[in-house]
Parts: sequence; structure tokens; C-alpha cells
Amino acid sequence: MNSLFRIPCYKFLFILAFTLASCAPSATPGPESGAGSSGAASAGSPGAGAGEGARGGAGESDTGASSLKQLQEGKSPVTPASSPMKDIYFGFDRYDLSSDARTILRANADWLKNNSTARVEIEGHCDDRGTNEYNLALGAKRAQAAREYLTTLGVAAARLSTISYGEEIPVCKEASESCWSQNRRARFVILQGRPTS
Amino acid sequence: MILPSLAQAAVTGEIVGQGGQRFPIAVSPLKNLGVNTGESGRLSTGIADAMVHDLELSGWFKVIDRSAYIESAQGSGITLGSFDFKDWSTIGAEGLVKGGFSVQGDEITVELRLFDVYQNKERIGKRYTGRVRDFRRIAHKFVDEIINQFTGIPGVFNTRIAYVSTSGGRFKEIYVSHLDGSEKFQVTDNHTINLSPDWSPDGRSILYASFKDRNQTLYLFELFSGKEIRFTPRAGGRYLSGRVSPDGQSIVATLESSGNTNLYLLDRSGNLIRQLTQDAGIEVSPAWSPDGKQIVYVSDRSGSPQLYILDLASGKSRRLTYSGSYNTSPEWSPRGDRIVYTGRVGGRFAIFTIAVDGGDPRRLTSESFDSEDPTWSPDGRFIAFSSNRAGRYHLYVMQAGGDNQRRLTGSGGDDTKPNWSPRLD
Repeated sequence: MNSLFRIPCYKFLFILAFTLASCAPSATPGPESGAGSSGAASAGSPGAGAGEGARGGAGESDTGASSLKQLQEGKSPVTPASSPMKDIYFGFDRYDLSSDARTILRANADWLKNNSTARVEIEGHCDDRGTNEYNLALGAKRAQAAREYLTTLGVAAARLSTISYGEEIPVCKEASESCWSQNRRARFVILQGRPTS
Repeated sequence: MILPSLAQAAVTGEIVGQGGQRFPIAVSPLKNLGVNTGESGRLSTGIADAMVHDLELSGWFKVIDRSAYIESAQGSGITLGSFDFKDWSTIGAEGLVKGGFSVQGDEITVELRLFDVYQNKERIGKRYTGRVRDFRRIAHKFVDEIINQFTGIPGVFNTRIAYVSTSGGRFKEIYVSHLDGSEKFQVTDNHTINLSPDWSPDGRSILYASFKDRNQTLYLFELFSGKEIRFTPRAGGRYLSGRVSPDGQSIVATLESSGNTNLYLLDRSGNLIRQLTQDAGIEVSPAWSPDGKQIVYVSDRSGSPQLYILDLASGKSRRLTYSGSYNTSPEWSPRGDRIVYTGRVGGRFAIFTIAVDGGDPRRLTSESFDSEDPTWSPDGRFIAFSSNRAGRYHLYVMQAGGDNQRRLTGSGGDDTKPNWSPRLD
């Protein structure tokens, strides 16, 4: 018998210890966890997660942080009601834009044109039916459909990046159509201090 | 009468056919051949329990319940002539596993034997030495020998399954463990989303996709050294998943760029060799044929996700599935003849297999719950998959024809995306 896995086990213990140690201080909720604080209040404060900032500056520009960051912080990846850019929704296994989606995208484009320094990451999301890999590809299609429409409306493509989270970060977790329909969406998150890709 | 009939069965590679009778076997607790310690009882039954688990998981054996055993495991011998076969034939056993063990420090030596109760003969005798805490691996190895005796092909219980689990909280991390859940090892611990683990054919590395560097890409992690290679996609692209080729020398990866996903061939360091598909749609979930000459994958070019087979030499693809409006996650049988996949039926997802020529599609799981993410055992005789039939997603295993579906995992989270290792040392 050889000693399969002996080395990685030690490695894992080390990583675990390291993670516990490095995570310990942030386990206490800090003052920044006051949800609903206005964008103005936080403008100019880079915060701990600098570079993935949720807030685009002054005024009504609180789109919420990226869904991955929300997941890491244990928050729902919901777009705040105060966000200037609303989510758009898709049919099952679809990535074409409905007329409702186009209406929302026109409003989002208007805001982007009025806030010409804001750069936005468009997140594509899916419901959890189907396989993870297919849904990652489908989410990319949804984000790209939104990006292309915003571009045709006159928003510079360089301001718009995309990412797909597939079915991995749902905003609603029940197995029902009302829940699934909320998860088939594209979200618009203002980036700070990150180059677009 | 028993084992000779098994010898006949070895020709077909099956012990019993679908729905056929299971072979009645008894697995005695092991005799302690060394000094008694506080651990002796646990080892005596633990090694036997691990063998019972495997034999039942195979679906080919009916293990006679230990409470019916007549002889005392510690009071009788473990070699031919030192125990009474009548004690076992009386309770209906046709096969019998007996053994003994001794512990020296943190090392254990285990002797295991398979007896033919009808013919009063010994069929297999093996001695193993290993670390005490790996005692289950010894049991798995011996069951693989038993199955070789019965079918002419070794069993697949000394293998591991890599999978994705949320058991540690809200994150998706990658784990590997034996089929019985033992020797569980956490591959990733980065508190993000880690997906699509894939074993290298030498069983030494796991290729997986992760969001740990924020943008999704692929990583190749060496289990023994802890070394990891990050695959850097070309500018603006993202690797969604990848699969190591049967010869271990290349990787087929799914790359998303500007919303389109296509298949690319990479070398094992992640350098691009060539693009394999050029389509404006979705091309995902590639899986290699066992000879490495073809790749089965998913494309939505027909308007719905369907399976296609790409011939690498000609670069041409042919469509494989025509029934159903959503067919994904194909895996090519190591035997070469069939492809297993997930198909949508009546709003649910089920596991299907189909012949490589597109004929004879068969549904293997019920449509009253979801079953997804199938993966073949290295001998092609079993399929593991994830299913929500017990509420959350857990891993299950079944025979390749769909019989004997049994649950493998029961963590507090969702266990998904199993990937079965090759045979291991």
C-alpha cells in the first residue's frame, strides 16, 4: 500500500489553518454592513474589497456588489431597489431579449449615457434546471445579448464587460417557476477601479 | 456448482443478468491475529463492513446478515480445514469471505480469503499491508479481487469519486472520496465556486474550473504534490470546463468569448493547440472517446441542446441525439459502445444511454425526480450520478443498465457533478 494523499492532507490542514487565521478578524460584522446606506455616504471610501466596489460614486448609483462578492459575504445577490439599472429577465433556455427587457435596457442605456465614466459588468444568470456547464454558456449568451443591445443604443462597448455565473448564484432558491423566472436574468453591476475586459 | 457457474459467467463479464439472482455470500468479521487493543473490535468489523458495502453496491451479491452467522469469528480458524463449512452452508451462504489481521504500530497486516462453500475450496488468498487508517482500502482491493474471480474483470472499488459539494457552507468546493465516503479529501477551499472536476488518467491530478480568481478559468491540481497550474485563457475569454484526454497529453476545453462557447484543444500546460468547433452558438460539455479519436459534446446549433460527435481527424461533427429537447452532459463509456447523458423528460431530468451510432436510447432513472451529471466507472459497468430523489442532491451509483440504484453520499449540502477516477494503486 502506498501513501496516497498523505501530502495533500497535510497541505489541506495547512490551508485550513491559514484560512481560519486570516478570516477570523473579518468574522465580526463591521459598520459597512448597514444595508441600504446611500451611495453618497460611501462615495470615496474604497472599503476593504477595493476594486470590486459596489458603488459607482455619488448619487443613485448603488447597483450592489458583484454576485460573487455577495455570495462571499453571505448576502443575497439581489439588485437593490435603488439601483439605477434594473435586471432583465429571460425565458427558459432562451437568450433573446423580450420587449420588456429592451425597455429596461433603454433606461439602463440612458443612465449610462448620463454617467459616462461608469463602467459596468453585465452578469448572466440562469435557473438551476439543466447542467452547470450548459448554463454557464447560456448565462454568457444572456450577458452578451444585453451588452450588444446597449452598444446599439450608443453605449461604448469598452465600458461594458460580461461574466456568466450560470446557475451558481441564484437570487431565489425554491423549485418553482416564480423562483426560476427570477433567476433567469442579467444584472448590471458598476465596477470601480477595474479595467474592463 | 456455484463458483463453476461463475466461471461460465466470466465469459460475458456479468455475474447475473438484469433482475437475476444475486449470489449469496457471507463476510465474517476478521479474526484478530495479534495483540488485542482498544481498536481490535473496530477493525474486525470495520474491514468486513467495508467489503459488505462494496459487494452490495455492485448489485451482484446478496450478503447474508451477520446476525445469522453461527461460528464465532474470533474462536474459529481462517484457513481451509480450520473451520466448518456446514456453519455457512446451513445459513445459505455459497461464498464465504474470512480473514485475519494484526496491528504493529500504525501498520496493519490483513489476510483475506474467498471460499467456495459448496465445493469446500479456497478460491482467493491475499495478504495486504498498509497504514491502519487505510484499512478500508484493503477491503476495497480484496472485493475487486472477488469480482475478478466471478467476472474475469476486476472490480472498481479501489477508486475515488471527485465531486462538487456545498457541505461546507454556501460555497461549492471540490472533494474526492472513496465510494463509501471514506478518505474524504477537500481539493479546493477558496470560498467561491468550483466546478466540473475531471481526473487525469493517471489518477494523480484533478482538472477543475473555478471562480477563485474572480474570472472563471481552469486549474490542474496535483493531488500528491499539491502543485497547481492555472490555465490562462486568451484575452477576453474564459474557460468554462475541460477534460483530460485518455493518453493524458492534451485537454479539450470549453472557451467562452463574446458570448460564444467553442471547444479548443490544449496541451497539458494549458497552451492552445487549435480550435475544434467554430459556431456562433453554445458548444459545451466535451467528453473523450476511450481511444481519444472522437469527442462527444453538446451544441444548441439545432435550436436546442443536443449531443454531437466530433471526429478529430476529419474535423467533422455528426448529430447523435434526436429525441427530447434538452440533452446534455455526455460521457463516453470506457467500453466504447455507449454514451450516457442527461435528458429532459416531462420537465424533469433523467439519465439516458444511447449507442454510439445513435440507436437504442434507454432511460435509466425515474422521471419523478431529477438525476443529472452521469459518470462511468473505469470498467464501464457502473454509472454514478447526482439526484434530488431524497430532497437535496446526493451522489448515487447504479449498474450500467440502471439496476441497483444506491445512494453514496449524505452530506448536509448538495453533492453534484461526480467524476469517477481511473483504477488506483
